Amino acid sequence: MTPIDLVVNGERRSVTVGDDDLLLDVLRGLGHTSVREGCGVGACGACTVLADGHSVSSCLARAVRYDGVALTTADGLPAADDVVEEFVAARAMQCGYCIPGFVLMGHELLAENPDAGAAEIDAHLEGNICRCGTYLEIRTALENAARRRREATRTEKEPA
Amino acid sequence: MTATLHRPRDLGTALDLLAGLGDPMVFGGGTAVQILLKQGVLFASDLVDIAGVPGLADLVATPGGLRAGTMVTLRRMETDPLVHDRAPLLAQVYGRVANPRVRNTASVGGNIAHGDYRLDPPTALLVLDARVELSSAAGARHVPIREFFTGFQETTVRSGEMVTAIDVPTQPLGGAAFTKLSSLAANDWPVASAAVLVTAADVGDREIRIGLGALAPTPVYVAVALPATASDDDAVDAALAAVEPLIDPLPDVRGGVAHKRRLGRVAVADATRAAWHDTPHDLRGTPGEEAIDDRRPTFLRRHRRH
Repeated sequence: MTPIDLVVNGERRSVTVGDDDLLLDVLRGLGHTSVREGCGVGACGACTVLADGHSVSSCLARAVRYDGVALTTADGLPAADDVVEEFVAARAMQCGYCIPGFVLMGHELLAENPDAGAAEIDAHLEGNICRCGTYLEIRTALENAARRRREATRTEKEPA
Repeated sequence: MTATLHRPRDLGTALDLLAGLGDPMVFGGGTAVQILLKQGVLFASDLVDIAGVPGLADLVATPGGLRAGTMVTLRRMETDPLVHDRAPLLAQVYGRVANPRVRNTASVGGNIAHGDYRLDPPTALLVLDARVELSSAAGARHVPIREFFTGFQETTVRSGEMVTAIDVPTQPLGGAAFTKLSSLAANDWPVASAAVLVTAADVGDREIRIGLGALAPTPVYVAVALPATASDDDAVDAALAAVEPLIDPLPDVRGGVAHKRRLGRVAVADATRAAWHDTPHDLRGTPGEEAIDDRRPTFLRRHRRH
């Protein structure tokens, strides 16, 4: 057993983990139940977390490797998160099980490329599965979130 | 059975562990190893986690190309400007592996050491004539990627060795293309893939280099020469004739032998036609380290992180 510090959504949590413990299980044990197990082999995206801003399948990640790494889970996003708001506005969910993963993948994409359009969204989300099949609404939500960010950037740049 | 995890902090300690333990497995990015452990098909006494070894995730320019440390992630190969500049075909192919989360974690060394015949990156590494650095407690040796894959799920990596880096020459001037065909999900293993690079070794001559994935028990390399004046159709015919005796598909849930052979021919034809078409008729020579790169083909840089 190894004592580590997980920095989850800006909060440092000291935990003791076994060598085999998966990040997925440790985060859920800490109450971050927006992190979910789907396929268990990195192919569905339900267990997505961001580590230093990069998406990771927590079902394949050993917690001991994430000592001190800044982690983001969907439940740690601010109440007025632009991506979440656009998911709600586009009704981009039915059961919602997979949605935290889609939201975090969307954040990673828009942080890298605010100009992302439908093709870039499809490419980035190719490894996320929604069994309710709300893919079209999810794409719309992210197109709208991207547009919001571009407009916000333009407004900031305008002279006073 | 639970394998014991070791977390060495320097390369010497890691290599001593590989030399001294009973049945060790290198734990790099950890994606493939973790899946195989979950599936109960990986039997190792010990896992040697190399994430804490300094220097193994370095990606640097070299006089003749670039050098990727074994722990460089596939996503970095996809997005890093150095790879886009020196070997754009390689960046394109790494960007087609699995999904972005896997690419954020999986490593270049572990990817080839996995030795699977369906991997995407070997197709590009083969046509670019990459070289693999293997290290053990006894020292380092270098193996051309074209000699790395020795059999079904087998590589030239010996007991006590690990991949420590891949050296990739600068991509020669000329057209390049990658085609990947899947019969199940788009990000599933392919049923056929082909990387094609057209180079000009001598004035008036062309070499079509072809790397195949998923079409035989190992990744396959073959090259064919033909005059620069050949048509697109001539180039496709020459490429298909060259790969014909080498395509030896394994039937599985993704398709039978005839299906995969057919899709293999489509992949080779499509990639060859695109690469040949993009090769200027007056092309000659290969770029030296001081060469101006403005004629090198580029592709959509939509995943740039930097």
